[in-house]
Amino acid sequence: MNLSERFTDTNIPEHPEKATLEGKNKFVGFWLFLGGETVLFATLFGTYLGLRHMHGTGPTAKELFQLPTVFLATMILLTSSLTSVYAILAMKQNKIRAMQGWFFITLLLGLAFLGLEIYEFNEYVHEGHTFTKSAFSSSFYTLVGFHGGHVLFGCLWLISLLVRNWSRGLNLYNAPKYYLFALYWHFVDVVWVFIFTVVYLMGKVG
Amino acid sequence: MAEHHHTEVSKTELLQRKLEIKQERKQHTISFVMMILLTIIAFYAIWSDKVPNTFAVLFILVLAIVQVFFQLYIWMHLSHKGHEFPILGIATGILCAAVTVAGIAAMIWTT
Amino acid sequence: MSTIASHKKRSGLMDWLTTVDHKKIGIMYLLGGLFFFLIGGIEALFMRLQLIKPENDMFVGETFNQLLTMHGTTMIFFAAMPILIGFMNCIVPLQIGARDVAFPFLNALGFWMFLFGGIMLNCGWFLGGAADAGWTAYAPLSTTSAGHGVDFYILGLQISGAGTLMGGINFLVTIINMRAPGMTFMRMPLFTWTSFVASLLILFAFPPLTIGLFQLMFERVFDANFFNADNGGNAIIWEHIFWIFGHPEVYILILPVFGIISEVVSTFAKKRLFGYSSMVFATVLIGFLAFMVWVHHMFTVGLGAVPNSIFAVATMAIAVPTGIKIFNWLFTMWGGKMKFTVANVWALSFIPTFVMGGVTGVMLAIPAADYQYHDSYFVVAHFHYVIVGGVVLGVFSGLYYWYPKIFNRKLNEKLGFLNFWLFFIGFHLTFFPQHFLGLLGMPRRVFTYLTGQHWDTMNFISTIGALMMGLGVIVLAVNMLISISSKYKVTSGDPWDGRTLEWAIPTPTPEYNFAQTPLVRGLDPLWVEKSAGNKEMTPAEPVGDIHMPNGSILPLIMSIGFFIAGFGFIYHHWLVAGVGIGIGLICMLLRSVIDDHGFHIHKEEVEADLRGVKA
Repeated sequence: MNLSERFTDTNIPEHPEKATLEGKNKFVGFWLFLGGETVLFATLFGTYLGLRHMHGTGPTAKELFQLPTVFLATMILLTSSLTSVYAILAMKQNKIRAMQGWFFITLLLGLAFLGLEIYEFNEYVHEGHTFTKSAFSSSFYTLVGFHGGHVLFGCLWLISLLVRNWSRGLNLYNAPKYYLFALYWHFVDVVWVFIFTVVYLMGKVG
Repeated sequence: MAEHHHTEVSKTELLQRKLEIKQERKQHTISFVMMILLTIIAFYAIWSDKVPNTFAVLFILVLAIVQVFFQLYIWMHLSHKGHEFPILGIATGILCAAVTVAGIAAMIWTT
Repeated sequence: MSTIASHKKRSGLMDWLTTVDHKKIGIMYLLGGLFFFLIGGIEALFMRLQLIKPENDMFVGETFNQLLTMHGTTMIFFAAMPILIGFMNCIVPLQIGARDVAFPFLNALGFWMFLFGGIMLNCGWFLGGAADAGWTAYAPLSTTSAGHGVDFYILGLQISGAGTLMGGINFLVTIINMRAPGMTFMRMPLFTWTSFVASLLILFAFPPLTIGLFQLMFERVFDANFFNADNGGNAIIWEHIFWIFGHPEVYILILPVFGIISEVVSTFAKKRLFGYSSMVFATVLIGFLAFMVWVHHMFTVGLGAVPNSIFAVATMAIAVPTGIKIFNWLFTMWGGKMKFTVANVWALSFIPTFVMGGVTGVMLAIPAADYQYHDSYFVVAHFHYVIVGGVVLGVFSGLYYWYPKIFNRKLNEKLGFLNFWLFFIGFHLTFFPQHFLGLLGMPRRVFTYLTGQHWDTMNFISTIGALMMGLGVIVLAVNMLISISSKYKVTSGDPWDGRTLEWAIPTPTPEYNFAQTPLVRGLDPLWVEKSAGNKEMTPAEPVGDIHMPNGSILPLIMSIGFFIAGFGFIYHHWLVAGVGIGIGLICMLLRSVIDDHGFHIHKEEVEADLRGVKA
C-alpha cells in the first residue's frame, strides 16, 4: 500500500499508527519523549514544592486559589482527553468524519481550558500575585504556565493537523500523526491531574 | 513499497475488531466516569474540611496516582501488547521524576 | 507505485547544509566538536600560562573567570559530547545493520542546534565578555553576574541542549527498532550498548537542565525569584537541578568511551570481549546509579549526615560495575594476540589512567574527607583524570580506530605515536602534580597565588605538561590534514581485520550502508562469518529498491531562527525574539504540512554498485 493511499474500510490495518517503520519509530520515540517530559515537569514540581510557602508579602495559596474555577478547568481537560481517545477509536475504524468531529471537540475544550487559565491568572495578578512578587509566585506561574504552554502548543498542533488533512482521508502517512497527538494530549492531562492535586488542592490545606 | 504489502482484511476479522473496539469504548467510558468520580472525591476531601489535613493530602495524592494509571494504561493503551519500550521509557521517567521531586523539595534546608 | 520522484541530487556545500545522511552528520559533529576542542584547549593553555609562576599578571581577575568558565562549558558540551555523538552517528547504524537512523530530519536538526548553541556561547567573547560564573553557574553568582556573558551561556546551552535531546531519542529508537535480523540486544556490540544507555541518560538528564536554564533565564531576564533569597528563593535548588543533570552528564561522556575501549581492545587482542554479558550489566547499572549520586557534588552544602551518608554509599557502589569493566578488559587482553596499533595504545593507556581517576573518585565519595578536598586542585586533578584521561584518551582511540570507516583514509601511525606520547606524558605532567597542589591547599578557580607555599614547582611542571598536550593536539591536526592526500586512502573496508558489522561494509560506505540487510548469526557477526570461512555477511534479503529520506534545509533555518531568538532574549528585544521563535515555528509547520515520503534507490543502481565493488 502506498503511503498516501486512502484507507478503505476493508484494508485498514489493525494498528494504522504502527503499520510502517516510520510509524513504529514515531510511536516509540514519542513515548520516550514523554518519559523525558515527565522529568521536565518533575523539576518544576520539585521547585514549586520547595518554594510554595515563600509568599513574602503577597497572598498565600490558601487566600488565592478559587477551587470552583480550577475544578471546572479540570473537568474540561478530562473530558477533552476522553474525546481525543474516542477520535482514535474512530480512526481505527476508518471513520474519518467521526474522528474529525471528536478532535474538533477536543480542540474547543482545549481552548476553553486556556481561556479559563488566562482568566484565572488575570484575577491573581489583580490580587497582587504577580510573577515577580515572591518565590511562591515565580514557581507557581512557571509550573502552571509550562503546562498552559503545552496546552497551547497542542491546540496549534491539532489545528494544523486538522486543516492539513481535512479533505484527504486517512492513510499510512497521517495516521501516526493523529495517534501521536492523542498521546501528547493525554500526557498533558496527566500533568494537570497532578497540578490540580499538588498545587491547588494541597494549596488549600497548606 | 516493499515493506507495506497489504491484504484485504477478512470479514470475520473486521467483525472481531469491531467488537474489540466496542469493548474498548466501554472501558474508556468507564475509566472516564471513574476519573471524574476520583476528582470529585479529592475535591470534596479538601473542600469540605471534614477530613484531617495530613490524611487528606496523602489521600488525594493516592487518588492522583490512580488516575495516572487510568490514563496511561487505558487511554494511552500501555496495557496493549507492543508497548514494552513505552513502559520502559515512562517507568524510568517516573522513577527519575520521583527522585528529582524528592531531592529538590526535601533537601533544601527548609524543614 | 514504488517510486516517488522527488529526489533531487544536491552537490557541494548545499549537500552538506541539507544532508540527513547520518554518516555526513556524524562527520560534521566530529569536525564541529574538534573545532570547539581546539578553542577549549586554547583557553586551558591561557589559564596554565597565567599559573606558570606566582603572582603572574597575564590573565587576571574577570578574564581568568571567563577563561575557566568557557573552558569547562566548551569542553563538556561542545567538544566531548558532539565528538561522541559524531561517533554514534557514524558507527551505531553500521554496527546494528541499519540503513539509516530512525529520525534523519531530527538528527540534522540536532546537529545544527548544537552548532548554533556553541556559536552563541562564544559570541560572549566579542560582545562584552563571556560567561564567568563557572561551568556550574551556581546561583546567586550566575543570577547577579554583570553583563551578558551568563545570558550567552544560558541561551547557548538551551539551544544545544534541545538538539542533544533529539539526538538521544533518535539513537534510542534507532537501536530499538532498526536492528538487522538476528541482531538481538545481547548480540549488540558494546559501543552500541553504551550509546544506548548514554542516550537514555540524555533523555532523562537533559530535561532538568532545560528547566534549570529556564529558571536562570527568568531570574535574569524577568526578575523571577527562584534563587533569590531576598524574595524567598533558595539557591540550593539550582545546585540540585544542575547536578541532577550534571552527574548523569559525565556518565553520558564516559559510557560511550567504555564502548570504544571494548571494541578496540577486543579487535586488537583478536579475542571476543571477555565477560560480554557482565559488561552489558555493568553498563546498565552505571546508567542507573548515575541518577542516584548527584548529592556527592554537594556534600559541603550541609544537607546533613543522613543524605550525605546515603549518597556516599551509592557513589562508592559505582566502583563495583566500573571495576567489572576494568577486569574484563584486562582478561580480554590476557592470552590475546595483541597488536600495538596507535588506536590500541590509546586504549591501553586509558585503562590505568582512568583507574587513577576512579580511585580519587572513591576518595572524594567519603563526605568527611571531601570536606578537605572540596574546591581544591585535588578535585581538578580528579575530574581531569576521568575526563581527559578517560574520555579524551578514549576518543582518540576511537578516532584512530574508526578513521578509515569515517573518512576512508588511514591516519599515519608514526605521527600517531608521536601524538600519543606527547599527549599522554603531557597529560600526566599536567594533572598528576595537581593532586598534591590540592592536598597542599591550593584552591581551584583562583587566578594567582603567592610564593612560599611549595606550589611554585608543581604549577610550573603542570604548565609544561599542558604545553606538551597542546603539541600533541597539533600533531593530531597535522596528521588529519595530511591524511587528505590520496596516499592514505584505504582500499579495504576492513583494515583492522574487524569483528563487528561496520567492517563488513565496502569502502567508501555507500549512501544506503548495506546493499542487502545482513543476517546476524552471533556476537561479533563479521567474525562469526570469517570463522565459518565466509568472506562476507550472509544477506537476509534479496537485492531490492532501497527507501531513503529526502534532504532538507529546514533544520538549518530552524536553528538560525532559535539563534536569532536567543539574541532577542539576551538583549530584551522582544520583537527580535518573536521573529526568531516565529521562524522556528514556521519551519515546524512546514515540516508538518509538506508531505515527505522520501525516495528510492533503484534495484538496478544497487546492483551496479555491487558489481563495481566486486570488480
